[in-house]
Amino acid sequence: MILDALKYLAYVLIFPGFLFCFLTGMLLCGIDRKLVARMQKRVGPPILQPFYDFFKLCGKETIVPDAANRTVFLLAPLVGLAALVVLQLFIPVFSFTAFSNVADIIVILYLLLIPALSIMVGGASTGSPYAGVGLSREMVTVLSCELPLVLVLLAVGKKVGAATGSGLCFSLTEIVRYQMAHGSLIGNLSMIPAAVAFLMVIPGETGSHPFDAAEAETEICEGMLAEYSGAPLGVFKLNHAIKLLTLTSMFVMLFLGGIGGGIQNLVYTMGLSGGLAGALITLLNVAVLFALCVAVTVVTISFVHAVTARLKIEQIFKFYWTVVSALALISLVLAWYGL
Amino acid sequence: MFQKLIEESTGKSPWLFHINAGSCNGCDIELVSVLTPRYDAERLGFKLAGSPRHADIVVVTGPITAQSLPRVLRSIEQVPEPRCIVTMGSCPQSGNVFRGSYSICGPLSKYVHVDVDVAGCTPKPEAVIDGLALAARILQEKRRAKK
Repeated sequence: MILDALKYLAYVLIFPGFLFCFLTGMLLCGIDRKLVARMQKRVGPPILQPFYDFFKLCGKETIVPDAANRTVFLLAPLVGLAALVVLQLFIPVFSFTAFSNVADIIVILYLLLIPALSIMVGGASTGSPYAGVGLSREMVTVLSCELPLVLVLLAVGKKVGAATGSGLCFSLTEIVRYQMAHGSLIGNLSMIPAAVAFLMVIPGETGSHPFDAAEAETEICEGMLAEYSGAPLGVFKLNHAIKLLTLTSMFVMLFLGGIGGGIQNLVYTMGLSGGLAGALITLLNVAVLFALCVAVTVVTISFVHAVTARLKIEQIFKFYWTVVSALALISLVLAWYGL
Repeated sequence: MFQKLIEESTGKSPWLFHINAGSCNGCDIELVSVLTPRYDAERLGFKLAGSPRHADIVVVTGPITAQSLPRVLRSIEQVPEPRCIVTMGSCPQSGNVFRGSYSICGPLSKYVHVDVDVAGCTPKPEAVIDGLALAARILQEKRRAKK
């Protein structure tokens, strides 16, 4: 009983939880900044720059505006952080899962909304007009991303569900297990449009270029963050970094989960077994996951950041509800007819 | 250890907030040029912040016109401690060619403590980077002294 409690505590605080999210999320962010700089022929900041930014912000004075609701203002970033850490627990690392459930995809969908909501609530509590503008834009961005995201998850769920005979599969663990046995879903022609759609959803969900109308720093002073300073601002920056990790690892698990099977085979063909093999598999899983997350970040965030300019909010909405949704819908229809 | 981390990081991640106090736009352009690929101040961690609440270093350009003075002071007050104030160009230091005009209230050091002055009309980007790096060091000192 106590051992179980300790195990879950370790899950929440260390491995797929807080510490892991903090380190890998910030590293992803740093690599992204460095790569964007290199693409623009700059030297760029050190890869550890997000850590410096975070610790510096922890040491700064926190100013709470007179007009703000103190409790909401200070609690909002922490609520977002908690939701993201819990969310990461539901995302398997290939064969390793902290919590597995019959319908974890639905939980993930809800939890994915909480960080966006927390930043909106926090921004709204300050009463700043910049936050007001940012808030309405963030709301539209979240709405735009939600439809294609749900369609992608439905398409994947139907595909795996049809193959395993359970109708619609809403368990991410199940989806990964299926891919480890039958190869990655991206190798499947009918799933490629959904994968492309998910890649397009990633920059929208994380609010990076060109879908960063809600946090346009040159135009509305980073919108909802305009009144934040010190540690709460640092936590919001951390939330952004973890969200990057969450979405990229979700992509890896949804479409590239088959690689986990390859890792397992590799370890077993080396003639290892028992606890050592288990440890090695977990270690390799994490390393491969991180490498793939970096690759997905480069494709969806860094490269897109370096070559595009900011879109207007109605263009974002139109893009997601036509192009991206159509791609996801194609996959859904194909999966529905068993292709 | 946590305090040590914060102290180390303070000098490595200075975010700038730029206030134009009646500048002719020369210094403003030159400040932005510091962030371009050629000089790339981001390699030292510099970043232009949109809101004074995110900033560590306030860069003031222009001769502090009577109209802008209350706004400049109010913006500087909104920057959380520890903070550094850098004047860029000759105007906020001495008034430059506008000295003696009825409509300017400079120099800035009459109203707030200025940490670094970067002189020139306009200063070269190298001089600006040098001044900002000095300001980042002062920022770290301030953090150390506060603790």
